[in-house]
Amino acid sequence: MRFRSQRVAYYYFVVALLLYGLQIAIGLLSAAKYLGPDPLLHILPFDRAKEIHTNLLIVWVLTGFMGAAYYVIPEESRTEIYSEKLAYAQLIAWTGMGLVTVTGYVFGWTAGNKLLEQPLPMKVIIVVVMLAFLFNIAMTIWRAGRWTTTEGVLVAGLALSAVLYLPALLDFDNYTVGIFYRWWTVHLWVEGVWELIQGGLLAFLLIRLSGVDREVMEKWLYVIVGLTFIAGILGTAHHYYWIGVPHYWVMFGGFFSALEPLSFFGMAVYAYSALRRSGLSHPNRLALHWTIGSAVYSAFGAGILGLAHTWPAVNKWTHGTLITAMHGHMAFFGAYVMIVLAMITFAMPGLTGKDDEKSSALGMWAFWLQVTGMLGMTMAFAAAGIVQTYLEHILSIGYLDTQHKLAVHFIMLMATGSVFALGVLFFLVDFFFIMVRAPRAARPLSTQGLASLTPGGAEAGE
Amino acid sequence: MTKRQTRFFFLGSTLLFAVIFLGLTFDSHRQFVTLTHSDQLTAEVIAGKRVWHDKNCTNCHTLLGEGAYYAPDLTKIAEQRGAAYLHQFLKNPSTFYSEEKDRRLMPNLNLEDIQIRQLIAFLTWVSRIDTNGWPPRPLLVSGAFPGANPTKTEQAAVSSDPVALGEAIFRHSPPACSACHSTAQGVQLVGPSLAGIALRAEQTLHNPEYHGGATSAEAYVRESILEPSSFVVAGPTFSAGGRSFMPDNFARSLNADEVDELVAYLMSLK
Repeated sequence: MRFRSQRVAYYYFVVALLLYGLQIAIGLLSAAKYLGPDPLLHILPFDRAKEIHTNLLIVWVLTGFMGAAYYVIPEESRTEIYSEKLAYAQLIAWTGMGLVTVTGYVFGWTAGNKLLEQPLPMKVIIVVVMLAFLFNIAMTIWRAGRWTTTEGVLVAGLALSAVLYLPALLDFDNYTVGIFYRWWTVHLWVEGVWELIQGGLLAFLLIRLSGVDREVMEKWLYVIVGLTFIAGILGTAHHYYWIGVPHYWVMFGGFFSALEPLSFFGMAVYAYSALRRSGLSHPNRLALHWTIGSAVYSAFGAGILGLAHTWPAVNKWTHGTLITAMHGHMAFFGAYVMIVLAMITFAMPGLTGKDDEKSSALGMWAFWLQVTGMLGMTMAFAAAGIVQTYLEHILSIGYLDTQHKLAVHFIMLMATGSVFALGVLFFLVDFFFIMVRAPRAARPLSTQGLASLTPGGAEAGE
Repeated sequence: MTKRQTRFFFLGSTLLFAVIFLGLTFDSHRQFVTLTHSDQLTAEVIAGKRVWHDKNCTNCHTLLGEGAYYAPDLTKIAEQRGAAYLHQFLKNPSTFYSEEKDRRLMPNLNLEDIQIRQLIAFLTWVSRIDTNGWPPRPLLVSGAFPGANPTKTEQAAVSSDPVALGEAIFRHSPPACSACHSTAQGVQLVGPSLAGIALRAEQTLHNPEYHGGATSAEAYVRESILEPSSFVVAGPTFSAGGRSFMPDNFARSLNADEVDELVAYLMSLK
């Protein structure tokens, strides 16, 4: 960490990880409900558990993105953050919004619109906080008078995320039109501008972890994000096929969404070739693992598993089944969860002022349990989704009868989900209890905490 | 390639595809009127959409295949079940399904009668949206039918036998008879099993409680399709207050040939 104000990132990471833990606990509960009989049926029915699970994901990943940006921007622009106070105020407002929203869901206060369930007042707060964040970032860069492509792509991703959230504020009488614009937010986030954020963070990490030439990395970063938008913008149509739109969307959606894996493969090749040269010599092995993991898992989860059911002739049968859950879980984990965890593990030695970047054994266990658990969950969803597609959608066997036959896959989901949850627990323990511990008695951190950090402590990664 | 060129590639292609996307969006808006019958968006339908969102239905069910995968798809439910059944179901789902048997249960949403009517109006409007042919085969809530279900057109290509054509109609949506009636002995879905209906129709004619106008088994089956409430078969999920839950619009939605074929098929179930 070179700049004192980078420490705000730590507090963003704390909030992000606490919400991550909660998200996974609720996820396990939802899986148990699939298996049945439904636990907590009358206290927390499935619809509420599910919206809490997905909304916590969105909130904590965005918290992680903002924390990562507060870490990356000062380093790239070589300056302190414009207003540290604003950054803290923004975090408090954001966390408050998140907690009120989730508590509201428990009591049935919801907009009932998939992934955009936040009630309108909460949506307004989200917009305000995002604007405050962007203002702070923009002023930091403007005051420094220096910006890099890496941070430019990152900031563009964050700014466009705010812009694309605006359609979510609108309400349409026509349900089809409502869905049409809902995807402007949801799809163009996760298969569009969030990939800019992932790409920017990936470039930042690779430049520092591998020491390869920045010019080369940034040149290819443009190619990757260019491919993202070529495929991703018209690829929105793969959500439109069956909702009441003109037939040409089926053709456009099929063709362009089939191109979507390109940018994810691009990122995997990008990471592989950068790290092949440096030979994985960086001492922060944990950050290396999460970084390569993100590139590989997003190519598999978002790229291949997305391609598996995006073609209209296939999607006609798989649409509305657990095949979507298969793709969704691994894609989100690979592309966005892992890149945030990579940033956290990369930044932590600097944020806590450690000279020693050696990773703990527990941290490595956290990595392997999560990737193994997620692979298992993906397989369980895939098997369940294929059986569901065949029985319910092809043979017209009733939904409820089909669900009975999926019970064995829900048991697998519970088992592999528990492995995953253990990995998350290990990560939290590592983050809260091991990473913050000073390596030598001479360092003051263990007694005085982070507030005692001084500018120009340990320099991270270079 | 230089960094300048790749930047141009990024900005240029993004702009190009954004413009195409906006153009298609504009054209779609012109077509939404016909595709979604937006002239039928009455105040009741819009209020029903509000209920749909307020009650968070989409986080268990799918509609147009979108939502959560914890409960059945509802795209064609209004067509399959009819208003009378749905009204009673929404009043208290636990009279129709049990947590013990189905391992999950829809909570009672405590809806008022007017909200239920609005919700059904909304679901009826959704069932008419032109979805580019989705779902390709009927999605049913319960019941199991081995083998594929050809459409009447597919069936007509290989056979002109009215029984076979009637079976294709029976299994397809609309009218989706098979969504509520099984043809297996003893398998009760939400409507009575139709196994042996030809024989039972004969018995019903001699039932002192029968006051309909049919004098033959065939005429009784026809009457049951066109006027479901003329004789109500006893069963907890079949009727309320002497009115059958079966939709009463088949006189309008099926043509005379289709009704003949359906009757021929049902009369073959002995």
